[in-house]
Amino acid sequence: MALKESEAIVLRTYPLREADLLVTLFTRLEGKVHAVARSAKKSKRRFGGALEPLTYVRAYYEDRERQELARLDSCDVLESPLADEVSYSRAIALEHVAELLDELLPDREANDAVFRLTLSVLAQMQHEAFWMPITYFELWMTRLMGYLPELSECIVCGRELNGDRAFFHALADGLMCLDDKRLASSEISAESRAIAAQMFRAPVESFTGASWPRSSASDLRKFLLQTLQRHIEKKLVTAGMLEKM
Amino acid sequence: MGRFAEPMTRLIDELKKLPGIGSKSAQRLAFYVLRSSDADAEALAAAIRDVKASLRLCSVCNNITDVDPCVYCSSATRNQRLVCVVEEPTNIAAVEKTKHFNGVYHVLHGCLSPLHGIGPEQLKIASLLRRVENGGVDEVILATNPTVEGEATATYLSSELRRPSLRVTRIAMGIPVGSDIEYTDEVTMLKAMEGRREM
Repeated sequence: MALKESEAIVLRTYPLREADLLVTLFTRLEGKVHAVARSAKKSKRRFGGALEPLTYVRAYYEDRERQELARLDSCDVLESPLADEVSYSRAIALEHVAELLDELLPDREANDAVFRLTLSVLAQMQHEAFWMPITYFELWMTRLMGYLPELSECIVCGRELNGDRAFFHALADGLMCLDDKRLASSEISAESRAIAAQMFRAPVESFTGASWPRSSASDLRKFLLQTLQRHIEKKLVTAGMLEKM
Repeated sequence: MGRFAEPMTRLIDELKKLPGIGSKSAQRLAFYVLRSSDADAEALAAAIRDVKASLRLCSVCNNITDVDPCVYCSSATRNQRLVCVVEEPTNIAAVEKTKHFNGVYHVLHGCLSPLHGIGPEQLKIASLLRRVENGGVDEVILATNPTVEGEATATYLSSELRRPSLRVTRIAMGIPVGSDIEYTDEVTMLKAMEGRREM
């Protein structure tokens, strides 16, 4: 079979047999693809640092007849997270993006919007300031996957929430007004909802430069993660690490 | 009813837990054990028991050892003020092969890995900080792997170890000896250029 060529983002690698690696790639051509990189653990010559998580590569791979796993032939590095200093907090942020993509994307289904989103967010995560790109990524991923409810009305009574207090709950499918909120609901501020509305209108680059501490839109991030985790029916490991940071 | 007798099934199930061993390999190994002599089977069982009973972690460096402190930490000829930090005990053999390192080690037993939920508390970092705090260390060499997670671990350690009297260094990254620059990937080349030295 002919080699396929596609831009791709490396999401994860798992050891396979003695010297191989099982690589999960998010390709532009076919979406999420699982491939075997033969001898990748022993010989660094063919792959070098190309199989590190969140490396943007040009991947060459081929599908094998009657086999689910593709064979990864080689990768050319286009952008590597190792080009800049990797602090512990940056590693958590990068791996959070990788985990979200891995958990949310279906296999073999191209999604150019998510691919472009990931590239633009990764470009903003070269330094320590990552709360903004993380928020932007979680918000857009929730929307692009079709899980984001309407943020401007109460899901119970349908009342407009603009300017009013709004609440969310781990078991509710959207925001609720003060009258309809459930027990143990958390509040999402009007300011965070305004940030979300702004993020839907502008590219991620337009938010750089402004100071963005951890507390900015933290309620929005909590709401988004709850929504995502409810749909994938599992806890995200890196979400816990981000919380502890 | 299972396909094999109960003790055989039990052995296959145990062997399947080993890394890289699937159902077929486990069956093959189990039948090999069954066909081998009683003495060989007993020697294998004794070796597995002994490895668990006699090996432990060195109280100083966390290397796997049968004597505590380990041979490196108790050596009179080694420079105890120079500590090389590695991710796994197996990494020590790689450094020792150079025959040029005369310091001692500290094994972290892993690296920071957010995707696997491994943070600083899961690694042997506290004992390294205590070791430095107690004095007697002039230099710490961070020899974690040149991966995203290894780099994150090294960066984290360098900030935790920052003290006026302590030198913290990172092993160099670059082109492997005997290879060709033409075939070097971009990241390795970048790191090699960054880490160039004066001649």
